[in-house]
Amino acid sequence: MASQYEPDDDRIFEGLAAATDWERRAPTRLKSRVYSALMRASADSGPLRPLSACEQEGHDLCVWERLARAASAGTLEELNYCRVCHGRVLGERVERAPLAWHGCPYADFQK
Amino acid sequence: MKPDSMQEAPRQSGDVGLPGSASGGAADGALRAAILDRDRKAIAELVSLHADAIYRFIYHRLDRPEAVDDLVQDVFLAALTAIATFRVESSLRTWILSIARHKIADYYRARLRSIVFEDADTRSDEPATDMRIEELVDRRRLEERARAVLSTLSDAHRAVLVCRYWDHRSVGEIALISEKSEKSVERLLARARQQFKRGWIHG
Repeated sequence: MASQYEPDDDRIFEGLAAATDWERRAPTRLKSRVYSALMRASADSGPLRPLSACEQEGHDLCVWERLARAASAGTLEELNYCRVCHGRVLGERVERAPLAWHGCPYADFQK
Repeated sequence: MKPDSMQEAPRQSGDVGLPGSASGGAADGALRAAILDRDRKAIAELVSLHADAIYRFIYHRLDRPEAVDDLVQDVFLAALTAIATFRVESSLRTWILSIARHKIADYYRARLRSIVFEDADTRSDEPATDMRIEELVDRRRLEERARAVLSTLSDAHRAVLVCRYWDHRSVGEIALISEKSEKSVERLLARARQQFKRGWIHG
């Protein structure tokens, strides 16, 4: 059988592999899905950091988190509100979803 | 049982030739501490800062694009689980990429072990120099064409070719993770290159 190996093979295939690597971005749906999975895993392992502590650190809360913080008077600050938010559903299912809420991670992933 | 990527502690520096800055910093340390404290905003920041790089790294190295999303998610979940072991002298990006490297090895370990290395006949040798890649200078178009040709190959040919050249693994390493002999991997690679070249030239 004739030799199947060409000396240039490795160089050419390595060149092709390098040439096909370009600056691509992750789909916004995937970012949303990953964030949701990380939040689920974190919330399952213990209480989340209270919303007021996040705010004191200088992070923006979304409108629902602010509402929950005010309404619960500090008692329900450790819950994962993203889990029941329709922003999560939209973010996970629609690429470049029309989300523009201030402080919403799913909206931030669309940028 | 934990997957191999979790049994082996991720390396702490850029010693595996991974992209990303090699040194850590105060920002990475603060992010690590906040994630350990289950800070939802820190988790969002982790995704915002690193998802594009991890996605690109994995997408480029996998033979099946449809498997990319699940692997990206696995990498982030593994990083979250192991974040306490991250030492800040390396960058968080480099550390997560090293987890991705191990996850990709797990992927090819399962994939190559499940594939039968068929002994197909190689009919005609196409000289490699007939494969002109410089005529397509647009990386996106080049990649589309390469992916199109790869999609015409058998599972075994596509997996071994992408693992060898796109994921930069040596024949010895592929033999190790696939539990096949180096000779067997070399024969499969030779056939895969022939099939790819035939598709590239005539496709």
